[in-house]
Amino acid sequence: MRPILLQGHERSLTQIKYNRDGDLIFSTAKDQIVSVWYSANGERLGTYSGHQGALWTVDVNPTTTLLATGAADNTIKIWDVQTGRCLKTWDFPTAVKRVEFSEDGTLLLAVTEMRMGYLGTVVVFPIVNDVNAPQADTPVLRITFEQSKGTVAAWSALNKHIVVGHEDGSVSLYDSKTGEQLANEQIHEPDMLITDIQMAPDRTYFVTASKDKSAKLVETSTLKVLKTYATDTPLNSAAITAKKDFVILGGGQEARDVTTTSAREGRFEARFFHKIFEDEIGRVRGHFGPLNTVACHPQGTGYASGGEDGYVRVHHFDQPYFDFMYEVEKMTRNQQIV
Amino acid sequence: EDELEATMANKEVVEYRMRLLTEWRNWRERVTEELMIDREAYGWKPPVEEEPIEDGEVVE
Repeated sequence: MRPILLQGHERSLTQIKYNRDGDLIFSTAKDQIVSVWYSANGERLGTYSGHQGALWTVDVNPTTTLLATGAADNTIKIWDVQTGRCLKTWDFPTAVKRVEFSEDGTLLLAVTEMRMGYLGTVVVFPIVNDVNAPQADTPVLRITFEQSKGTVAAWSALNKHIVVGHEDGSVSLYDSKTGEQLANEQIHEPDMLITDIQMAPDRTYFVTASKDKSAKLVETSTLKVLKTYATDTPLNSAAITAKKDFVILGGGQEARDVTTTSAREGRFEARFFHKIFEDEIGRVRGHFGPLNTVACHPQGTGYASGGEDGYVRVHHFDQPYFDFMYEVEKMTRNQQIV
Repeated sequence: EDELEATMANKEVVEYRMRLLTEWRNWRERVTEELMIDREAYGWKPPVEEEPIEDGEVVE
């Protein structure tokens, strides 16, 4: 599995997203640049310039026509993917830490930070999937966090619910129409930040990553923890692979400790766990700093990681990856064939 | 004796994993069915027509 090294960012990566077809990768970094790359060969198609602060988050809609970005300049921007034109800017009093389109692309959620006397929020905007149409000026929903601030959020299936990961290690489920909190569960260790939430393809379950050195697989409708993946390092990101029953975790020691820590001791590796059996089955080295973000190819043919070192590493899986099976998986496959 | 113990331990691990696999597949079957019913009730259509991504499918 020979990675392709994408060099173009000058500061640490913050988020990576594949588009629905998996032929493009969008990346954001603290250098204020949004990049788009061909996933097959790592060639950079272009950049989206306009933000005045570190980029925290990116997402692309299902038709790969609109791109959303959120930044430390307290704005969300919507871009025409093809031309790079900025179509809309929404201003907030604080930084925008996460954006995500709903599965049908008609809604966009954003998590804004709690700072300078402002409470953290989740806002939802209606989205018109037309690069020539005006977008709404105001959100249709605003959820304010009175207690622990939200750090990450994601849509459930059919846009029914919004799942929010909090600073205190809990996860909340909100009604996306009314903003009512339906459930709140202490999924991770208390006061251990949830750093990432990524949905399964059908959004019936999701994976969380946390500074408590674990990742959890959680049922969306009930917030019941289905699986736990324990590691020895704080986690920044977790992703679910298509085709194979794996999850990929990325993390490493904090950036402030990196100068006094060797790459080996920093554990800057992507870790592969079996989704069902919870066993670690492999690691991929390469980054020279913590992995801040991991994303899986939507067709399950590879993954990409973005590091504190400023690099994106794109991996295309070899045949042995697809051949790997536990004995019980082989047994049940044979039973199914018979 | 060691060999017997190893065989027994291995058998236990296999049985444990088999149980996990069965539980997972049963759960997936249930939630997938519920999702289909929900999608039908909502009149849901995929935003982009394409081959469905199967969960846990093995590529040969």
